[in-house]
Amino acid sequence: MKGRVLVVDDDTALAEMIGIVLRSEGFEPVFCEDGDEALGVFRATQPDLVLLDLMLPGKDGTEVCRQIRAESGVPIVMLTAKSDTVDVVLGLESGADDYISKPFKPKELVARVRARLRRSDEPAPEHLAIGDLTIDVPGHRVERAGRPISLTPLEFDLLVALARKPWQVFTREVLLERVWGYRHAADTRLVNVHVQRLRSKIETDPERPEIVVTVRGVGYKAGGGST
Amino acid sequence: MARLTAWARLGRARWGRRARGVARRWRSSLQLQVLTSTLAIGLVALAVIGAYVSERTSAGLFEDRLGQVLEESARSTQQVQDQLSASPASTSPEVALLLEDVTTAQRNGGSGERDVFLLRAPGQNTSISVGATATDRSLVALVSRDLKQAVADGGQHWQSVAIPTADGRTQPGIVVGQQVDVPMAGTYQMFFLYSLQAEQERLDFLLGTLALAAVAVVALLGAMTWSVTRRTVDPVRRAAHVAERLADGHLSERMAVHGRDEMATLARTFNEMAESLQDQIHRMEELSTLQRRFVSDVSHELRTPLTTIRMAGELIHGARDDFEPSVKRSAELLATQLDRFEDLLADLLEISRFDAGAAVLDAEGRDLRDIVVQAVDNAVPLAVRRGSWLRVDLPDTRADADVDPRRVERILRNLLVNGVEHADGSPVEVTVGVDASAVAVTVRDHGVGMTAQEAEHVFDRFWRADPARARTTGGTGLGLAISLEDAHLHGGTLEAWGRPGHGACFRLTLPRRAGIRLTGSPLPLQPEPEALPAVDAGPRRSTDPVALPELPPMTGEIAIVSNPTDPVRTDVRLDDAGVPADVRGAL
Repeated sequence: MKGRVLVVDDDTALAEMIGIVLRSEGFEPVFCEDGDEALGVFRATQPDLVLLDLMLPGKDGTEVCRQIRAESGVPIVMLTAKSDTVDVVLGLESGADDYISKPFKPKELVARVRARLRRSDEPAPEHLAIGDLTIDVPGHRVERAGRPISLTPLEFDLLVALARKPWQVFTREVLLERVWGYRHAADTRLVNVHVQRLRSKIETDPERPEIVVTVRGVGYKAGGGST
Repeated sequence: MARLTAWARLGRARWGRRARGVARRWRSSLQLQVLTSTLAIGLVALAVIGAYVSERTSAGLFEDRLGQVLEESARSTQQVQDQLSASPASTSPEVALLLEDVTTAQRNGGSGERDVFLLRAPGQNTSISVGATATDRSLVALVSRDLKQAVADGGQHWQSVAIPTADGRTQPGIVVGQQVDVPMAGTYQMFFLYSLQAEQERLDFLLGTLALAAVAVVALLGAMTWSVTRRTVDPVRRAAHVAERLADGHLSERMAVHGRDEMATLARTFNEMAESLQDQIHRMEELSTLQRRFVSDVSHELRTPLTTIRMAGELIHGARDDFEPSVKRSAELLATQLDRFEDLLADLLEISRFDAGAAVLDAEGRDLRDIVVQAVDNAVPLAVRRGSWLRVDLPDTRADADVDPRRVERILRNLLVNGVEHADGSPVEVTVGVDASAVAVTVRDHGVGMTAQEAEHVFDRFWRADPARARTTGGTGLGLAISLEDAHLHGGTLEAWGRPGHGACFRLTLPRRAGIRLTGSPLPLQPEPEALPAVDAGPRRSTDPVALPELPPMTGEIAIVSNPTDPVRTDVRLDDAGVPADVRGAL
């Protein structure tokens, strides 16, 4: 399945180049150069994925990210020139699913885009339970006592990955591979930030998580309440 | 007894402690020093002056009185002589009576009360012998034999004596004697005893007054010194306190300025200094922030066009087979040089991040052995290409330390690449050491080595051992410089040793916990002298350089056999990429 990709970047040369690469891979790129217009273009074009530069004229990239996330769970991949921890974590916390550091190779970009769009390619009839949550995998729904909880596709994938093997402890590297589709170990901060975000949505008390439990020095596992 | 000595020792110790405490206090207080020295000088001066004054006064008083006494007694003696010569007494009782009368009469004849003794001169042989007469017989003993002898030789003589009083004390006195002729009874010696008690009392009173005055002067001196030093020292103390606060980082701390005197000038100047200091620091902070912003901005500004170029380059590179040979080669060059440019940019940004102080340590507790194994694992393909052994010697115990694994991996990667690159096919030995306070890794190669001067420069930016030699693996020239910064960020050290023809050794030492100050390293940097081969021996080649290039490109895995007695026990085992067993031995 090929999708529509919204590229929000003020550098027209880079945006055009990204467009050429995406088009050559069969995607349909849509462009926006200004942070203020980004939300409008997003609503108008309904893309399957957003490539978002963090430094934009008008509204800041993290702000745009927050606005889009507020009304949609569509995958957002940040393009960042800054590899500083603070910038990356800020972007991830504002709702981005993944990030690519400039300069990146075309293959890298396509791989990331594919990885984020891949999920909808493989529907499998499956019902899972973790803690007091029930997960309808093909229906992409999570419920607690009949009340639905809204998760982004990435958060959903993360939860499903943990819930499928509740006896297993997942290292951050393994989660990166399963959920984000990285072949090689990359930035494990991605996992930390998203686990925090997921907990804030599904845990009754995010300070004392019971569904996604940290195993010190190893990684994460599904909570013990999954019987 | 033992207990007593113990007590004595205890007492001495306590006294010693107290004395040391006082001494410390004295040394640390300018005011106390000035006060004590002023008082000491004042006391000495007063003592000297007092001694001089009392000496002069008592001498003067005595001389006055002595003159008076001598004159008076001479007159009295003459008077007695006249009286005796005119006396008609001829019998012994008459002479005795006469002498008695004369003595008693002279008692009150002078300026005050005096005692009078009339003693018979020694060696008399006259018809009438009358004994001595005295107004107070108990005091006759005060007349010494020497005085009597002197008087017998003629003339007036005197002597100082101490007169005993009724209450057992003594008073100063003078005995004056002269001979008189008594009719019928021969020569007699007449002595007058004068008391100097009145003079003594005057002297005592004077000295008492002087002493009182001295005490008053010392007290006044002390008070004056105290107040003067206080006025001088207090502002200094305040300045010291404020300076301390400034040093602690309270940059807005200032001294209070009162009046227009020297102290006010001190305070004003001090405040100006603090002001300029604060300005400077603020400017530095602004500069640092600016620098950091600049780095961040440059990062963004450079990376965006580079990304575009890179993507375009890749696209062209991907389609290179459609081009004619020269354009095709150009596309390949473009791609490889873009890689290099990207590495260089990344390293430059990294090092400027260090310069701006923006580098942050993301530390976590890790076993250094794991990181080393990982790094060596990653270096295997390069080692295989260059035909070098990789030997790893790990300790049996865990080498836990709080480190930033990303940075330590980077250091090790740089050291390993550097080692393999310069090993010329000789083995590269990686050793891990650990002690109570530090963990360490050495990377030792047996290649061309370097001189001591070169070893000093290997961490310099863009430094090359031999400028004429081409860079083969295309390092950026910043790898070791960044590694050094990474080590320093941990509070650790990175050192290099080398000798031409004997290879080189790099040692990374990291404190196990933040805050530990490194004093040494668990591993030696310089190999034992006997471990070095003879000077003329060239670099060893333990692998056949011809056989190795045929090995397939591979991802390797390392099996580490740790045994302290036999450090060279590690094989590089390759995964299922199809390495024959006999080649495995050579690796």
